[in-house]
Amino acid sequence: MTGHHRARRLYHAALTTVFALGLAACSDVPNTIFGAHSEFGHAEDRLTYLLLTLGGLVFVLVEGLLLFVVLKFRARPGNPTPKQTHGNTTLEVTWTLIPALILAFIAVPTVRTIFQTQEKAPADALQVEVIGHQWWWEFRYPQYKVTTANELYLPVGRTVSFTLQTNDVIHSFWIPQLGGKRDLVHRNKPNYLWFTPESSFVWNGFCAEYCGTSHSNMRFRVFTVPQQEFEAYIAHQQSGPAFPVAQATPADTAKGKGAAPVAAQQVAQTTPAAPGPSENTGTWPHDKLPAWSVPNTPLPAGLTMTAEEGDAARGAQLFKASPCIACHTIQGVSPGTIGPNLTHVGSRTTIGGGLYPNDLKHLAMWIKDAPMMKPGVIMPAMGKDAPQVPGAPPKMGQYTDQQIADIAAYLSSLK
Amino acid sequence: MATAALAEAHDEHHYTSTGLPHTKIAIWAFIGSECFFFASLIATYLIYKGRSVVGPFPHTPWVDPATGQHFKPILNIPVTSASTFVLLMSSLAMVLAHSAVVRGDRKWSKIWLASTALLGATFLGFQAYEFTSFVHEGLKITTNLFGSTFFTLTGFHGAHVTAGVLWLVTMLFIDFKRGLGPRDAINVDVMALYWHFVDVVWIAIFTLVYLIQ
Amino acid sequence: MATTVAAPRAAGPKHKYESGIWSWLATTDHKRIGQLYLYTALAWFLVGGIEAFIIRLQLYGPNGRIVSAETYNQLFTMHGTTMIFMAIMPLSAAFFNFLVPLQIGARDVAFPRLNAFSYWVFLAGSIFMNVSWLFHAAPDGGWFAYAPLNTRVYSPGLNMDFWVIGLQILGLSSLAAGFNFITTIINMRAPGMHFMRMPVFTWATFVTQFLIVLSFPFITVAVTFLLFDRFFGTNFYEIAAGADPLLWQHLFWLFGHPEVYILILPAFGLVSEVLPTFSRKPLFGYPVMVYSLILIAFLGFGVWAHHMFAVGMGPIADSIFGITTMLIAIPTGVKIFNWLGTMWGGSLRFTTPMLFAIGLVSLFTIGGISGVMHSSPPSDLQQTDSYFVVAHFHYVLFGGSMMGLFAGIYYYFPKITGRLMSETLGKWHFWLTFIGMNLTFFPMHFAGLDGMPRRIWQYDANQGWDVDNHISTIGAAILVVATLIFVINLVRSRRSGARAGNDPWGAPTIEWSIPSPPPAYNYATIPTVRSRYPMWDMKAPELTASVPHSPAGEKEVTVKVGGATAGHIETPADTQLNAENAHPSAHELGIVMPTPTIKPLLATLGLCVSFFGLIWHRHVPIIILGGVIFVAALYAWLLTPLEPEH
Repeated sequence: MTGHHRARRLYHAALTTVFALGLAACSDVPNTIFGAHSEFGHAEDRLTYLLLTLGGLVFVLVEGLLLFVVLKFRARPGNPTPKQTHGNTTLEVTWTLIPALILAFIAVPTVRTIFQTQEKAPADALQVEVIGHQWWWEFRYPQYKVTTANELYLPVGRTVSFTLQTNDVIHSFWIPQLGGKRDLVHRNKPNYLWFTPESSFVWNGFCAEYCGTSHSNMRFRVFTVPQQEFEAYIAHQQSGPAFPVAQATPADTAKGKGAAPVAAQQVAQTTPAAPGPSENTGTWPHDKLPAWSVPNTPLPAGLTMTAEEGDAARGAQLFKASPCIACHTIQGVSPGTIGPNLTHVGSRTTIGGGLYPNDLKHLAMWIKDAPMMKPGVIMPAMGKDAPQVPGAPPKMGQYTDQQIADIAAYLSSLK
Repeated sequence: MATAALAEAHDEHHYTSTGLPHTKIAIWAFIGSECFFFASLIATYLIYKGRSVVGPFPHTPWVDPATGQHFKPILNIPVTSASTFVLLMSSLAMVLAHSAVVRGDRKWSKIWLASTALLGATFLGFQAYEFTSFVHEGLKITTNLFGSTFFTLTGFHGAHVTAGVLWLVTMLFIDFKRGLGPRDAINVDVMALYWHFVDVVWIAIFTLVYLIQ
Repeated sequence: MATTVAAPRAAGPKHKYESGIWSWLATTDHKRIGQLYLYTALAWFLVGGIEAFIIRLQLYGPNGRIVSAETYNQLFTMHGTTMIFMAIMPLSAAFFNFLVPLQIGARDVAFPRLNAFSYWVFLAGSIFMNVSWLFHAAPDGGWFAYAPLNTRVYSPGLNMDFWVIGLQILGLSSLAAGFNFITTIINMRAPGMHFMRMPVFTWATFVTQFLIVLSFPFITVAVTFLLFDRFFGTNFYEIAAGADPLLWQHLFWLFGHPEVYILILPAFGLVSEVLPTFSRKPLFGYPVMVYSLILIAFLGFGVWAHHMFAVGMGPIADSIFGITTMLIAIPTGVKIFNWLGTMWGGSLRFTTPMLFAIGLVSLFTIGGISGVMHSSPPSDLQQTDSYFVVAHFHYVLFGGSMMGLFAGIYYYFPKITGRLMSETLGKWHFWLTFIGMNLTFFPMHFAGLDGMPRRIWQYDANQGWDVDNHISTIGAAILVVATLIFVINLVRSRRSGARAGNDPWGAPTIEWSIPSPPPAYNYATIPTVRSRYPMWDMKAPELTASVPHSPAGEKEVTVKVGGATAGHIETPADTQLNAENAHPSAHELGIVMPTPTIKPLLATLGLCVSFFGLIWHRHVPIIILGGVIFVAALYAWLLTPLEPEH
């Protein structure tokens, strides 16, 4: 989908010829700035093409001239002393004026594009508040009262207007394929950016401004979906957590603490089905993710997880009494706002700021020892035998692997 | 022997392209650089003016919403006007000291150098008084943006005055030890340039920080 | 007035500072200080290079695990800080020191002791910054250390303490040198050395020094605020207290953009010396080259916010800074064309310095083109903070500054040491550098345009960046080999290179009229300059005739490169002749030279004590002790005459 843009291809082809290495052109480039999928991206691209064309001409002219001079005027034995010219006013005026003219060709469309792209967004635009945190993204849809993290759903064909703020240091919001970027500088004075996605797909987003230890691990995903899918997504996100905590509680307590694993498993099998599997949650089908949006980050050495399956119902109970609630919101369950909102965490494709795929194993290991999984993270380790990373916040839980697997199962069920 | 600067400037075997001594050119380059230094400090003060989230404030009273405590406007313009006058007078004394050294007038060179130093020290005394009374009134360098920018700006100016006073005292010491004559004029000239520059900076600070509300 | 050659005086007793280690610690000789700068800066260049190579190894493939995220962040911060403040700037300073007095026909700089002080402060600051490695607390905020990440809240460790204090110390060194060289160039030009006769390197130095003294105040203020915030709890960058994080960016880039020209103009100057010599033609359009230097410097103060197009300044500011940035491309382009004009119709000899000079012209052009791409804010929004920018500034700083500085090193090494560097190794160095440099940095253009953000410790697989990064790392390995060859060449040539004589290249400027290495007093008679290229100017043959040469110097050695005898060097028969003893001493000529002194070094030590006291739990008695040592040394220094009584 990224390969059908001739200008980019031409550019690559031209430069790689110069470079005599065809390798770069062969690789798939999912995050390229070329062939953008929004009018903002197109505006940026048009200028970039212009600059590359003019730059390419200057490159060929200057380097060609240099090559010619170097080959033609090399000293040969018996060369007489060359003519001692000191300058040539006509020539010098010419090569002052030509660059000036070229720059005028760049300046005019530049200024026009600046004002075009920084106009006020249309009034009926979808509002999205982006809040940068060290090192994850909070996304809010104020028109729909939905808060999510690290994954952003946008409808195709509708202008989205971002207000960008930071919670701590400066970050930068960049989705190369949709256009960008804009820094998140202030806490109370937002920056703005708007564009209209043109096609439905999955895009990678990055933090582009160095923001501390895990700057490289502050990634996000953008899903541009058809309008009706987006509406379904929003409706689903507006609903409460998919796991019916109220139902699970009596079930679990009735069985008592020493409940037979079989019974617990039955609960686990039945309860997550509560929202109904046929219901359209609007989320991107996890099996249709392109390769570049599935994280490949290797697990840290020295971190183990012995439990393989968890019990969501037990996990729900554990979660309610855990320190997790101080930082994470699950609608109707916990109020914390320091970390990402987990109300529908199970519907996301990644965890840890786009660092790991959102599956039971990674989720469990994340809960067990987040500081090992992501350098500098402020979420403390929870596992009983989780190694304490030097400099990380002190461990806050003493959960066994089984208990952690239970919590992971619970969180995964929050589709 | 005079200061090394003097030695460097006056050694006759040193040819200079402009005919001016090196120190004179160097001090102008230094002053040019210092202009940008103080301009940045003053600009920061002005940019942050009115942006402090808590008081006390320079020109307006403030009531701490937490404690109900009242704070007066911090800046005391009459007192600072007096200290500004003192510093201006020191520049006059500096001019007279320079002219006495050029004339070779040993007696008045000492008197005017001492007066300049004394007036400079008086200005510093005013500043010490100002700083302590501000701290008593509740404004410290850590209190708010006003405190940070104000103390840093005026503090750096005060440090420049202090260096100037030390320079004056050193020169006075040399005067007492062996007397300053016309061949020392260039050194006093360079010192005077520095002193007048520091004075001019203060005029800018007094106008932009104290007078304009 | 110029001293005439007097009858040799009886040599007095040797000063204790005239030999051994003391002769270096107490030196006030601009040539020795220049060499100190040169070798110290090269050492830091190697350190910064090792840091860069570790970065490249980490990025070789996706999810690299060579170093931790914390270490990686320290590495790229220190790589940038080291290369800018401890390698390229002091390498330029080495040439300012060594060359400017020689080029303007002076015996030393205006304030020789201040010059020594500048060097010692630079050495102290660079060591101070790097001592942080021993505490596993090297600076980690990036070389431009944006607020509020640089504040105590977000960088609680010692890391940024080292950075903020280290940068303050280094700034002091540059400022002191700036005043010194401005005075030197204005006031110590030999008779007849009008401004428009000055060698272009001296012009580049002159302009650079103005940039330094006028732009360093901004960083001094920015860093002072940060220091106060971190150590005394002020609020300059405290967001909760109402501070604006952009204050830092504006102050930093008000310094930072002129700094870019501080890094490149000296290299331009060196190349403008090398190209005419090996083209056997005067510099094409000398006046325009001078005016363009001045214009670049002037415009350089008006473009700082082009580093901030993504911060949301609004369309008007974006347009203004975009256009001023485009304007600065014009005088820069003129320089490129004038260099081509210099070579056009010449008789080019491809010595190593010439190859590096041509390397600058070709590679800086690429950096200039990508620079113009950044000047268009909407286009820049896709490029800023991506690897495209990393590619851009390495083409400017490595392809520009370092290529120019290497050209300068090969060109002036014979003047500095009296010996030529090996042309064979030099050419290996050049070609490996040229190839390695392009392999390392060209793919970064692609990586950036393909969405790779800069300063990332790891990147994921399947992002389309693997091949670019593989090639970059291979290129970096080639650069390591190239640099090793350079070091070997430097060490070997210093010990046993062919003797150079006064003027091995047939160069046009007056520094080539005196022996290599020059005697302490440079010129036995202060020369009178009649033209821009006195050594070439047949209208003034008496100029070189009136300069007393050493016996070794009179036998001119020429490197015949190009044509059949490429690389062959003719040396005088008496290679055993010790050039140092071959020419009369200052004593014998009756020239009064500054007395060596360690007082500038003592003053520096006082500063060091203070700064260590500051970082060491803000230990007030130590800070005061250091201050007292500094002031005492300063008084002792200023109250002692520069030269012995005469």
